[in-house]
Amino acid sequence: MSVIEEVFSIDLPVGEQFRIQRCRYTPASGETTKRISIVSGIHGDELEGQYVCFLLGEWLRANPEKIKATIDIYPAINSLGIDSITRSVPFYEVDLNRIFPGSKNDFLPAQIADGVVSAMKGSEIAIDIHSSNIFLREIPQVRIAKSQAQTLVPLANKLNIDFVWVHDAVTVLESTFAHAMNTLGTKTLVVEMGVGMRLSKAYGHQLLDGLLNLMACEGFLDIKPLDVRMPIQSHVGEVAYLNASGPGLFVPSIEHCQMIEKGSVVGQIVDPLSGQVLDEVIAPIGGILFTLRAYPIVYEGSLVGRIFGENE
Amino acid sequence: MKRIEILNFKSPNRAPLIVEGFLFGEESKGPSVAIVGAMSGDHINQLYVASRLVDYLTHKEEEGKISGKILVIPAVNTYALNMGQPFWPLDKTDINMMFPGYAQGETTQRIAAKLFESLQGYDFGIILEGRRDQGMCLPYVKLIKSGYEDLEAAKDMGMRFIHYREYSPIETVMLQYNWQLWGSKALSLVFGKNGSIDHRSSGEVHSALVRFMAKHTILDVSSFEGFSSNVIGPEHITLLKASHAGIFDSLVACGDTIEKGDTLGRITDALSGKKLEKIIAPLGGIVTCQYSHPLIFQNSIAFRIASLN
Ligand SMILES: [Zn+2]
Repeated sequence: MSVIEEVFSIDLPVGEQFRIQRCRYTPASGETTKRISIVSGIHGDELEGQYVCFLLGEWLRANPEKIKATIDIYPAINSLGIDSITRSVPFYEVDLNRIFPGSKNDFLPAQIADGVVSAMKGSEIAIDIHSSNIFLREIPQVRIAKSQAQTLVPLANKLNIDFVWVHDAVTVLESTFAHAMNTLGTKTLVVEMGVGMRLSKAYGHQLLDGLLNLMACEGFLDIKPLDVRMPIQSHVGEVAYLNASGPGLFVPSIEHCQMIEKGSVVGQIVDPLSGQVLDEVIAPIGGILFTLRAYPIVYEGSLVGRIFGENE
Repeated sequence: MKRIEILNFKSPNRAPLIVEGFLFGEESKGPSVAIVGAMSGDHINQLYVASRLVDYLTHKEEEGKISGKILVIPAVNTYALNMGQPFWPLDKTDINMMFPGYAQGETTQRIAAKLFESLQGYDFGIILEGRRDQGMCLPYVKLIKSGYEDLEAAKDMGMRFIHYREYSPIETVMLQYNWQLWGSKALSLVFGKNGSIDHRSSGEVHSALVRFMAKHTILDVSSFEGFSSNVIGPEHITLLKASHAGIFDSLVACGDTIEKGDTLGRITDALSGKKLEKIIAPLGGIVTCQYSHPLIFQNSIAFRIASLN
């Protein structure tokens, strides 16, 4: 059984509503209090999650008898942004993922956040799918605040991703969707994969397998768990950040997601005006290049890549 | 006056981003204050007040009236100002969400780090802030409770209201919080409407700055007394929301005293012109803030009323 529902609606000034929709899949026997929420599009320029939502919906429509508990799919939270290549909430230019849990008594973005939380509150698990941004390409990974590691890492390991990145708690991240939901008792994983404004089809299928496996393990689907990959764990090594030393055009020398040696060239920063190579970006450690810049214009400091290297 | 370069940041193709500071007086003579203007490209009012202050201080210095040290940085995000955009034009990040900055980090973290470095060691820090929504307001002092804030210094501005409150998580990466933690008595003056200049509130803020510097013997001038500030918290503010979206007309001005039952604004349907709503004051008080765009969203905050009951 599936039904499309509007979970939040608010009038816009001129003849239109801002709305958030979900597709709810339930067992033939009806809705269950046990439910999982699959979420994408909190950032309007990130589309990888839209494809995953499609793939999962397609699978569930083909296998309705396998559904054991309520599965909610929310492909487009910032619906205005997704339909207009706008990362933040249009008009307000506010990053929706910095104002959770939101409030009914505040401006539009905060009301949207509040609407999102109200709709998903009570879910056992939420998977918030991001695709980095338009600047960087990422391998499929889950990012977890250290304080949540014990609960969330075992869950993340079921998602068929490549990397689990446990990071120190930062106060500003207390305003994210994931933090708000984790605080309310919903185990919430943040997936980052691919790049903004584009689809990486293979990653979409990889995460679909992960979602099916997680839902099988956690009692949402009546299927056998899948054979998924075990992600690299961040605590066994270190992350090196590669920032541009100066402005120019960044031209990568290698493909994303490669194993590289310490001292090898990741890319060049060149000057189109003078025809000179301004700098070479060198790998400070060996390891996997899990982040690579996709948007070529850089300033001093622009992130061009991240390498994860395992400790000896 | 010394015109100093706070930072000089090269761009791939456009002319470099140069952030300038104007330095008056000298430290050895008395207390010091640093004043930061437009960190966003739509904080035109803040730019205007800061540049006007630079001109005023230039004359006062010629008259020998500077008795402390004053740094004014009228604009930080000149790239955004020159493009009519609020944030850093490439990645749309807000410089005022990057503090204390990180010299090895992303571009705007580096800009914030350089700026923050230049703001160290001042006794007082004043941030001229615009709003973070589509509103306009009576100029007020915003002071957050970091544990290092100085309410008495805030009162020396002589502004009508001091909004004194707990900080939200995002404020931990903003300038006021970090500046306080690093030892300057920092506060923000919030005023105006983004993208425009309001002469009345600009004048009020200018007077407050002069009054503050005079009280703290940074500036040797006489100035009129301001208000005995009302310290208010969120519990003193009533929010009046629009039940409908549409075209918004306000019938009052920020600072007006209103009574229970007064009509403050009205909303009409943007297509049919039908009258949808009158926004009526549920209590008496002072209008501190109002929505300032002609098109309003459903449930947007149309007015904020300060009252003591
Ligand atoms: Zn995102």
